This record gives sequence, C-alpha cells and structure tokens, in this order.
Amino acid sequence: MNAAAQGEVQIQTESDIVIARRTVREAAAQTGFNLTDVTRIVTASSELARNLFKYAGGGVMRWRGIEDKGCLGIELQFIDQGPGIPDTGLALQEGYSTGDGLGMGLPGAKRLVDELEIQSVVGKGTKITLKKWRKS
Amino acid sequence: MKTQMRPNSGQKQKSAAAKEITQNSDLLQLLVDSIKDYAIILLDTDGNVLTWNSAAERLKGWKAEEIIGQNFARFYPVEDVEKGKTKMELKVASEEGRFEDEGWRVRKDGSRFWANVVITALRDKNGELRAFGKVTRDLTDRRQNEEKIKKQAQEILEMATVPVVQVWEGIVLVPLIGTLDSQRTQQLMERLLHRVTETGSPIALLDITGVPTIDTQTAQHLIETISAVRLLGAEVILTGVRPVIAQTLVHLGIDLTNVITRSSLTAGLRMALTILKLDVAPLKTL
Amino acid sequence: MNADSISVIKVRDILMVTMPPDPDDPTVSALQDKVLSAMERYEAKGVVLDISSVETLDSFFARTVSETAQMVTLMGGRTIIAGMRPAVAVTATEIGLTLGNIETALSVDRALDMVTSKPRSKKLQ
Repeated sequence: MNAAAQGEVQIQTESDIVIARRTVREAAAQTGFNLTDVTRIVTASSELARNLFKYAGGGVMRWRGIEDKGCLGIELQFIDQGPGIPDTGLALQEGYSTGDGLGMGLPGAKRLVDELEIQSVVGKGTKITLKKWRKS
Repeated sequence: MKTQMRPNSGQKQKSAAAKEITQNSDLLQLLVDSIKDYAIILLDTDGNVLTWNSAAERLKGWKAEEIIGQNFARFYPVEDVEKGKTKMELKVASEEGRFEDEGWRVRKDGSRFWANVVITALRDKNGELRAFGKVTRDLTDRRQNEEKIKKQAQEILEMATVPVVQVWEGIVLVPLIGTLDSQRTQQLMERLLHRVTETGSPIALLDITGVPTIDTQTAQHLIETISAVRLLGAEVILTGVRPVIAQTLVHLGIDLTNVITRSSLTAGLRMALTILKLDVAPLKTL
Repeated sequence: MNADSISVIKVRDILMVTMPPDPDDPTVSALQDKVLSAMERYEAKGVVLDISSVETLDSFFARTVSETAQMVTLMGGRTIIAGMRPAVAVTATEIGLTLGNIETALSVDRALDMVTSKPRSKKLQ
C-alpha cells in the first residue's frame, strides 16, 4: 500500500463504530498485515471507537500508514474532548487480571497492539495512540 | 568586411583544448541524460536540487522545472525528515566524502520505493564544498523478490517448528519441541486453531515431551493457547507431562485444574478416543 | 443494518440463530430480544448461535452474548456458540475473553449434535 495513506472517521453515532471497523480493516489489510493481525487491529479499534461514542460524547479516529527501517505498520489515534481519564496507568490495568471472562476494552486493546499511549487531561479530553508493526 | 586576424599557434592550441573540454562536457551531459537506471542529480550545499536527469524524472515523478530549487527532503518519508535524516546524510557526506544508504524514498505521487542512494560531496581544488552529487537506484524489484523468499522461508520454518498433524479423524497432534517464547506461542496458537478449524477436529493433543523446562511464562502461553482452542469448541489434552514438569508446575503454583493432562501421549490418545466415543479393538480372526 | 439481519430459525426444538458478518451495536443488542422471544414462542430446548460469518468479536458483543446465554439458561435452555473463526478466537483470548461457561462447537453440525444429545460436562478428568 502507499504508506503515505491516511484517513479519519468521525465517531458521533453508533453506526460510526462499524464504519471505523471497516475503514481500519481495509487499511490494515492494505498495509499487508496477516488475517490474525488485521483482526487484532480491528478489534482494538472497535473497543476504542465504542469508548469514544459511549464515554466521551463522540470524537474522531485517525489512521495512517507508518514505516520504520523498512518495516511497515499502522498508527491509529482516538481523540475526544470528553471528561478525560484521571489515572491512565490504572485504566490500562483495571479489571484485566480480575476479568470476568468477557474481555476488557482498554487493557484488552493494549494486548492486541505493539504500542499504546494515552494522553489525557481531566476536563479537556483524551488522545489514545496505537501502533502495530508488520512482522518482517 | 571581415577583419582577419592571423591566428597564432598558442591561440590555436587553447581553442582546440577548449573545444575538447566543451566536447567532453557535452558528452558527460549526454551521459547523465541518457542513463536510464540511475537518477543522477546535483544538490546545493543546503540540499536544494540544482540539476535533474531523465532517469530522476522517471523514478521520482517530478519534472525538472517542478523540482529544481526544492529541498531533497521532499524525496524522503515524513518520519525520516522529522528524525533529521536528510540533514544527517548531508553532514556525513560532507565529513566523510560520501554517504550511502538503502531505504524508502517517496515519489511525487506519494508512493514509496526502495532505493540505494549515494551522496557524494563535491569539493573544488581549494577543498571547498561546492555541491553534492546524488545517485539513486530503484531497488524495489530486488526487495520484492527478497521479501517473497523471506516469506516462503518463514512459512517453511513455521511449519517445521509448529507441526500440527492429523492423527485420526477428529484428532490433531502438536509435538512441541523446545521452549515456548511469545513469538512461538503466537505461531502455535494461529497454526493450531487454523488446523483445528480446517480439519474439524474437536480434539487437539498438545504433547510437551520435547519441552525441556517449563517456566511461568511458558505455562501462561500454554494456558492461553488452550483457552483459544476451547473458544473454538475443541478440547485440548496436554500430554507428555513428565515428573520434572509436574513438579515445576506445582512449585510455580500454576493452576491447570481446568486442563486435561496426561503423562504420556498414549494415555492422551486413549482419552481422546474415549471422548470421541471411539474404541480400538482387535481384528476378528476368521 | 437492523435486527432482521439476524436470522432465527426453529429446527425441531432448537433455535438456529445466525449472526451477520459485522453487526452494528443495535443489531447485537437486538439479538437478546429476538432470542428470548423466540425461546418463549417455541419453547425451545436450546439455542445454537452461528458466528461463522463474524469477523470481529469485541467485548460488547461478548458481553451481550454472555448475558443472552445466561437468560436462555434461566428460561430452561442451553446455548452453544458455533463456528468461531480462528483469528477471532486468537484475538478474543488475548483480550481476556473466555466466554465463561458458555459451550462452543466447531460447527453448527456439531452444535446440533451436542444439543440433541445428553449434555456433556466440559470438565473431563
């Protein structure tokens, strides 16, 4: 794929979550990820897009192809102007080890990707950045 | 009326020499213009494009008039420019005389190609840096072939390190040899799940006779694999649990009570047949 | 997309429920109502949920399915999830999804076998 490709999806309604999934699926497939990795990336995106819709009052998902030393990858950003996350460390840990077997949104998403970074200011908003690299 | 001047021999030699230089420089220009496989261009000391050749236009997409004067950073992916790669390259070329690199470059339309690039510092007789010469070669084809070979080798290696064998209708066997790191576990999970689905086998025998030691991480990986197989609707029987492994597992406090385990592959196979309501019986003699 | 994309068919006294490839949230939520009202109407013995077309299984889907299964149990039925794709199983495991006590089957065929025979305990030791 043209690694300079990028795009964004506004997440304002429930159906936007599906659009986000489909957009990510195509972008990940074009980057050359195998089916299992595509599924991981789409699932992580689904969790975070839903969080945007449910807890942040909407937001935007941005994606772009990235490259480092010949390795292709994908970067996703989930940006909102919602309430913010007071303790990001806790948010990534919470419930994961005491999971009820039903999968946890944020900690789960972290396991599916290579890098996950949260920038959040209480009262202003949150930006979550995900990166996944093709195994080369 | 023409003024005739008697040409003296000195003048004649000079003009012959000048003619030769002009001829050679014309030929050099022709060389640069005609070469198809190498984009040969000149950059000023700041990296702005001074000259262009037809190969450069073909390879990178820009026409001469569009690109002359622009900085050569335009040929690099955004991430590289942000990291200061272009400045670094000129610096090295300036200090050491040349810089060579293989990497991604960007065309006018945004598409990428894998290139071999040599940047040479051009100094005059006084040693002053006048410009940089940049020769770029498109290695995309070679790289694509390399990737293809790598992928094939990877697939063969995967099959060899995580063989999943169907031993009976409904039963697959994974004879694990060696330790299980994260990467291997992923390979194991993906391959095993794929084969289970493909063969429609409700039982997977995971034999760890060939796994020398087990640590917490390996055990976690195994448990994760077993979980995933269960999600599919198949069952895993962990076989080849030797005394030393059993001891280690208990000492590490690893909970395998939800997993069916047996000490030998034979015992595991027997269990599998029981679950499938199959039996092995001697042939009736005539 | 709407709830009609979930098909619910009665096969003898079993409900065959087929999920579409990429159901949106309202569709997933509709699953519960559809299944429960069908359970009541047909007094079904159990539900076979065919997810062989489903490409993404996230925590929302998993939660809804789990709740539905619990409700089906309360109504005296059994739920079996069939046909999970390998990539989905790998990803689900990695996000901590084990679906608890819900039974799963490799295919709809096997699921029907399971529901029509005696319930077999998952733990065999």
